[in-house]
Amino acid sequence: MDEQTLIDYVTRQRWYGSKSRTVLHAHVLDSVVLRTAEPQFALALVELGYETGSHDIYQLLYALRDGELELDGLDEPQLARELVSAMRSGLTLQGADGIVEFRPVEGFAGLGRELSEARPVGAEQSNTSIVFDDELILKAFRRLEAGINPELEILRFLTENGFANIAPLGGWYQYSGGPVGATLGILQEFVRGGVDGWDLALEEIGSAPDAFLARLRRLGAVTGTMHATLASDPNDPSFCPETPSVEALGLLTATVDEEIERMFVDLPDDDERIAPIFGRGEEVREQLRMLTHAGSAGKSIRTHGDYHLGQALWAGDDWVILDFEGEPARSLAERRRKRSPLRDVAGMLRSFAYAATVASVMRGADMPDGWEERAREQFLAGYFETIDPALLPSGQVAIERLLAVYELEKAVYELRYELDNRPEWVGIPVAGIQRLIEQAAATR
Amino acid sequence: MSEQWFERDPQWFKRAVFYEIHIRGFFDGNDDGSGDFRGLIDKLDYLQWLGVDCVWLLPMYQSPLKDGGYDIADFFTTHPDYGTVDDFKEFVDQAHQRGIRVIADLVMNHTSSEHPWFQESRTDPSGPKGDWYVWSDTDELYRDARIIFIDSEPSNWTFDPVRGQYYWHRFFHHQPDLNYENPEVQEAMLNVLRFWLDLGIDGFRLDAVPYLYEEDGTNCENLPRTHEYLKRVRAEVDARYPDRVLLAEANQWPEDVVAYMGDGDGDECHMAFHFPVMPRMFMAVRREDATPMYEILDRTPPIPRNAQWGLFLRNHDELTLEMVTDEERDYMYEEYAKDPRMKINLGIRRRLAPLLEGGRDEIELMHAILFSLPGSPVLYYGDEIGMGDNVYLGDRDGVRTPMQWTGDRNAGFSRADWAQLYLQPLMDPVYGYQSVNIEAQLRTPTSLLRWVHRFIALRKEHPVFGLGTYEPLRPENPRIFAHIRRWEEDIVLCVHNVARSAQAVELNLSDFDGMVPEEMLGRTRFPAIGELPYLLTFAPRGFFWFQLRKEH
Repeated sequence: MDEQTLIDYVTRQRWYGSKSRTVLHAHVLDSVVLRTAEPQFALALVELGYETGSHDIYQLLYALRDGELELDGLDEPQLARELVSAMRSGLTLQGADGIVEFRPVEGFAGLGRELSEARPVGAEQSNTSIVFDDELILKAFRRLEAGINPELEILRFLTENGFANIAPLGGWYQYSGGPVGATLGILQEFVRGGVDGWDLALEEIGSAPDAFLARLRRLGAVTGTMHATLASDPNDPSFCPETPSVEALGLLTATVDEEIERMFVDLPDDDERIAPIFGRGEEVREQLRMLTHAGSAGKSIRTHGDYHLGQALWAGDDWVILDFEGEPARSLAERRRKRSPLRDVAGMLRSFAYAATVASVMRGADMPDGWEERAREQFLAGYFETIDPALLPSGQVAIERLLAVYELEKAVYELRYELDNRPEWVGIPVAGIQRLIEQAAATR
Repeated sequence: MSEQWFERDPQWFKRAVFYEIHIRGFFDGNDDGSGDFRGLIDKLDYLQWLGVDCVWLLPMYQSPLKDGGYDIADFFTTHPDYGTVDDFKEFVDQAHQRGIRVIADLVMNHTSSEHPWFQESRTDPSGPKGDWYVWSDTDELYRDARIIFIDSEPSNWTFDPVRGQYYWHRFFHHQPDLNYENPEVQEAMLNVLRFWLDLGIDGFRLDAVPYLYEEDGTNCENLPRTHEYLKRVRAEVDARYPDRVLLAEANQWPEDVVAYMGDGDGDECHMAFHFPVMPRMFMAVRREDATPMYEILDRTPPIPRNAQWGLFLRNHDELTLEMVTDEERDYMYEEYAKDPRMKINLGIRRRLAPLLEGGRDEIELMHAILFSLPGSPVLYYGDEIGMGDNVYLGDRDGVRTPMQWTGDRNAGFSRADWAQLYLQPLMDPVYGYQSVNIEAQLRTPTSLLRWVHRFIALRKEHPVFGLGTYEPLRPENPRIFAHIRRWEEDIVLCVHNVARSAQAVELNLSDFDGMVPEEMLGRTRFPAIGELPYLLTFAPRGFFWFQLRKEH
């Protein structure tokens, strides 16, 4: 494979993550052949080196047909199937500098049958997914980072510990060797006919608001069980709950406070959507200080990490939680860090605000008054039914305060994002921040 | 799975902010009254928040601790108070996961007299280690070498009654110098380096490097063969351990120190401390005259392309006054060490905040100057909250008291009994832990800690500070320290008022005609630069950093 072909190919892909950097060189670090018969299939780890002296490693899957190189190998159903059958048979392939191991999950029934159809689904920032016969879904991680991928790690843990609201894990494949040790991909059961929580919200907020509220109560309960399960093994160092250090809350406060300060410096002064909070940065910071005054932080546990309505799938009778990869922009170590479970909760509550606004303002749904408030109540009621209280700060007041801090953090982040990317959505985080200020005024 | 947490980045150290930690004083993770690796792990979230890129650990090896661990009795084990080698490795791994690198002190020049090598050498002169130290029948050799610890050592030779010979030591008499003439010693020290590099450490701060070799008729410092050996060390590191850093401690004039960065693009140490710049910063602020700073920077030769200066305000040692004139030293003593207890050897044993009489403006100004200079800043634990010192403690312990985490018992440093602590935390009304601590400063948006945090973030946003040129402006007003940093398209103008009074200055910025200065902390745009001198006014001890932007 010549260098320029590699560079051209990788830098064109959606999952290529360093679009602003200049690539100086590219080369294959290691490769294994998946299929020797014509057409040949192979898997390669490719290193891209940048001007800055840093580098990235990507997973490439390619085909050789009559000596012709086809780099878009995963579009080839036959090749994709090859990966699944390698998992089924627990294959280990030797590369020049390491091994690729394919492993099935014991007792996973979905691997037993022959696959016929394979279709690529939505390309993501850092991975590619293929659905087989609406039965299985394979996710190949493209940009590789050293260490176990949290998606594999958490799915395996949740499966072993009996959490039912996930799509069961069928298998995975990984590379270990000189250049890197990394998860390359996972295979999961495909949830047929599922509707994601975001779409469902937009559909039902107008048409069946009460039914949807009941679903949210269930989602809260599922979330509480998920957190309790993630915190259930004191003997597994990757999962055992930890007590945050004494300055944890101080660090969080300082971080959020500085983010607020910077945000308010950057606010445009001629945008009327921002008017409700314009010039009120000090009030927000004051509120933050009150929220974090002498509070406790509860426990730190492994969390979902990027939790919102779009990560929950309504599968006809119950919720299925998806995508444990964490925020793709963060490093893998960062994504595996233990945090307060309330951070996930805050993410979900913020997405209710988005859903409410989009449904009513953008889709013209006839939304009942106070829907968002009730959605929050329902979700939290469900959550507190199942969560282990020992994981949260002690006492309802402390819980609400910490939750408000995380919501504020999230809303400030959203505001920056919307200002940069989707100005028409700016009103949503503005309303969230305004609500916090006004709550403060009401309690004074 | 092998775990590599960093992108390959051979020049990371040029943009890094370093943070020096006295392990014993940072945090006690096992309740025995003394800081340890476990405690360091517990505080990684804090270090990550602070924004430091690399932690420098003071010596962590087995040692009788007669010189703060710089008297190493076994290079391959850690001091039991700090934990095991496994604990150390765990700390390095966890630091790496948070994007923080770790370097550690290593003393190559000498060992403790309790090191088995020395014990073997003194009892068995003809044995395998007989020649590993510098022995002599007389104390007449190397008479031109100065004595460094003039307060405690009468000679660089000490008679050993066991062997019946004198041994050579550039530092304390309980720290015999290794004999680098012996190829086995050279190899043994490379093995030490390999051992820790294999564990994942990101480099070393090499203590006392100028003294490895001795030669009669010289001052026994900076000898060519010392450089030759360091080149050999560097070649070994480059060949097997990419992205690691060697940081030389050579308390010498810059023109001599540059030699420790090697030839060409740099083939000895990646970094070296710039010692003489530091006392001159204090001098400038006290005299209200920036001249000493301009002068020492003018006197600083260019360094190899892949090398970098390490810059600091204070560290675990005394504020050293070896690299100043006698007159300047008298001035510094008079101004900064009014109590004779504050002096030690040729220096002043005080922390940053007390040296500056706790003045917040002065502390900020000194950080601003430090961060604006070409080099990588090295912060000393506790200085980010303005910790004080205790001049009544012996040696340099006064600047090594426990980190003040909270206003609670033992300053939140340890859960051991008060009496069990290795040193008691400061309790005086000004700098004591009840008024100066991390917990309180984290929650106070206007605190020094929060300011330092923002300032570190600001510096890291601009690679120009690590990679750019230094172009002094030297305006007519001598109270103003002004210079340009430039790297690719990034041009930064740094202007500091070292005076206690408000000042005005006219800067000749005609090279930047038409550009608009944008103040970097508050992002305020200033009037565009024209052909006439650019007028700036300053509050007492005030400073501005501007990014010069092209007007659109």
